[in-house]
Amino acid sequence: MTTPQRGERFPDLDLPDHTGRARTLSELAAGDPVVLAFSRGWWCPKEQRYLRELTRLQDEFEVAYTRIVVVSVDEPAVQSAFRAGLGARFTFLSDAERRWLGRLELGETTDTTHHPYLPTTFTLHPDLRIHAVYHGYWYWGRATMQELRLNMRTISRAVRDDFEGP
Amino acid sequence: MSSAAFTWEGRCFQIDARCLEGAPVPGAWVHVCARPDEGARIQYDQPEVQQVRRDALAWWIPMLGDELVCLSTLALDEVYCGGAITVARSPRLFDQDPFARLFPGTVIRSDVFSVVAPPAGPVLERYAGVPWPGGRFG
Repeated sequence: MTTPQRGERFPDLDLPDHTGRARTLSELAAGDPVVLAFSRGWWCPKEQRYLRELTRLQDEFEVAYTRIVVVSVDEPAVQSAFRAGLGARFTFLSDAERRWLGRLELGETTDTTHHPYLPTTFTLHPDLRIHAVYHGYWYWGRATMQELRLNMRTISRAVRDDFEGP
Repeated sequence: MSSAAFTWEGRCFQIDARCLEGAPVPGAWVHVCARPDEGARIQYDQPEVQQVRRDALAWWIPMLGDELVCLSTLALDEVYCGGAITVARSPRLFDQDPFARLFPGTVIRSDVFSVVAPPAGPVLERYAGVPWPGGRFG
């Protein structure tokens, strides 16, 4: 398996969430568009900055039938504490065993201490088909909140038959 | 005693149907945050109903952890909420239930509720009027 590309269907990840409960990506999507953000982990200042932005954005997602899912190599208990500190109300998935990191070829090779995910954000249709990919090794490569809004608009328009009103 | 002595009293609520669809958890503890009087209702769109759902996603569900069986708001119709239930394997955390801010909680035991994966968040809105967190599009 290689890193999924635009237009392909993202693999249905099966990982524990921040409470340790087994989850799948399709279950979390639950028929809605998704922002799927692979994040290094709690220790990285860039991730702290970016996840604070996503946490602000959740106030729009909560009324817009759209989802946010974050994946990192942190243990569930660490994710749970980090999530609480952020005030996030979306789900974190833990790949502490790095089961998917290698399969997705999303390992960050320059961090030989944490062996984290390469920061990468995917926007997905409800069926997990990839709409866009953002490479965030350099912070400015990441999706801005406005780009995520526009992605969610485009996907929602494509999948909601009544997008322009019933 | 005549059958006329039995008069049914109570209120009918709709809950997330998934709470009753799986294998029942015997002896589960149920925190019923509702009142018997018909006037005890709040519009789903009111800020206090929005906020307790945020609290459920932010800390109530993580706090319950593996003890959680399922939860659901109690819908009266497309507009009004009559409260909520939280079903757990233990009642020890029910005194912190955020839904008790809407209506006071009563603890009962039940054998009818089944395990439902908790909502993923951050969606608070309901799907076509179904009690939160049930329903989905597509």
